[in-house]
Amino acid sequence: MLDQKSAGLSITIFFCQQLDPNQDVNRRAVEGELGDQVRFFPMPCGGRVDSLHLMRALESGADKVYLVTCPEGACRYREGNTRAQKRIAYTQSLIEEIGLERERLESIVASADTSVTIDELARELLAREASIGHSPMKGNKQV
Amino acid sequence: MITAVRKPISEIKEMLAPYAKILVVGCGSCVAECASGGEKEVGLLSSALRMDAKASGKEIEVREMTLDRQCVYEFIDQLTDVIDGYDIVLSLACGAGVQAVAEVFPKVLIVPALNTTFLGETKEAGLWVENCRGCGDCKLGFFAAVCPVTRCAKGLFNGPCGGSRTDRCEVDPDVPCAWQLIVSRLEDMGRLDLLRKVHPPADWSKQQGKGPRKIRREDQRT
Repeated sequence: MLDQKSAGLSITIFFCQQLDPNQDVNRRAVEGELGDQVRFFPMPCGGRVDSLHLMRALESGADKVYLVTCPEGACRYREGNTRAQKRIAYTQSLIEEIGLERERLESIVASADTSVTIDELARELLAREASIGHSPMKGNKQV
Repeated sequence: MITAVRKPISEIKEMLAPYAKILVVGCGSCVAECASGGEKEVGLLSSALRMDAKASGKEIEVREMTLDRQCVYEFIDQLTDVIDGYDIVLSLACGAGVQAVAEVFPKVLIVPALNTTFLGETKEAGLWVENCRGCGDCKLGFFAAVCPVTRCAKGLFNGPCGGSRTDRCEVDPDVPCAWQLIVSRLEDMGRLDLLRKVHPPADWSKQQGKGPRKIRREDQRT
């Protein structure tokens, strides 16, 4: 089984910065270690994410795009996390229309009973099995 | 507001297939409000088209633009210095906008990315409902501002039909019975007397049968 890191997959992580008070330091540690293989986009709330962000990330060559939100019922802005799920679903249907696998977009709901740091989460995601290959968008200019 | 929904990408691709330089033009008015043709939707569709082309090994150039309105010449004119550089224009406007752009640039192929649907109201976030047929003979003053032609499934001028159940339409239980609304509102206003008037069948000649309609106001013309 090849993990996503070893397979050289580029991953983009949009995440709610409420999840990790030290996200700025923690994500920079991973960025420094892995370079372009992982890109982070901290957001004030998962609900801030828009389908256009997700599409542009895929168009820029990300093999896999994650959106990490707070657990259900734990959103600081009440419904941001549930709205984010709807945007993921909409964008998945859009990329399916052009023949891209919906699995290239994935929603991760942080666990309610454990605190999570974004660097730990990113490493965990990179250690997952590479169930999809490189994106046909590979080689596009990163925007 | 004029509402519209995006065509399937397969249908859009078929129209664009012979061309490599594509200008995608949105409209910042009605279709932006109903989240089908504004700047954001132009971005989404353009991204999708570029990705699709890349995946199939085709080289295309897609430029994104959004006009405040595609149905008014002063805004369409913003395309003048741009449009010649493209093989085709994909318009995310209503049918009126598509035709208005084509009128100004008759030698350029303009194709629609949207299916224009109805005159509607933003009922809540993400929900648009039809409430006007543009019949040209508005009778809302008699019906407590609820159009029975549009909002009653049977289009009854002299309702109700008697088939509603717990204030819901028997044709579609998701929809409130228009006549229940009319009667309740008139009752609240103490104007049930308005229901004594018997209305003749609608005069549809004001809407159709004479070709495209026009509104001409001399005081607005130059």
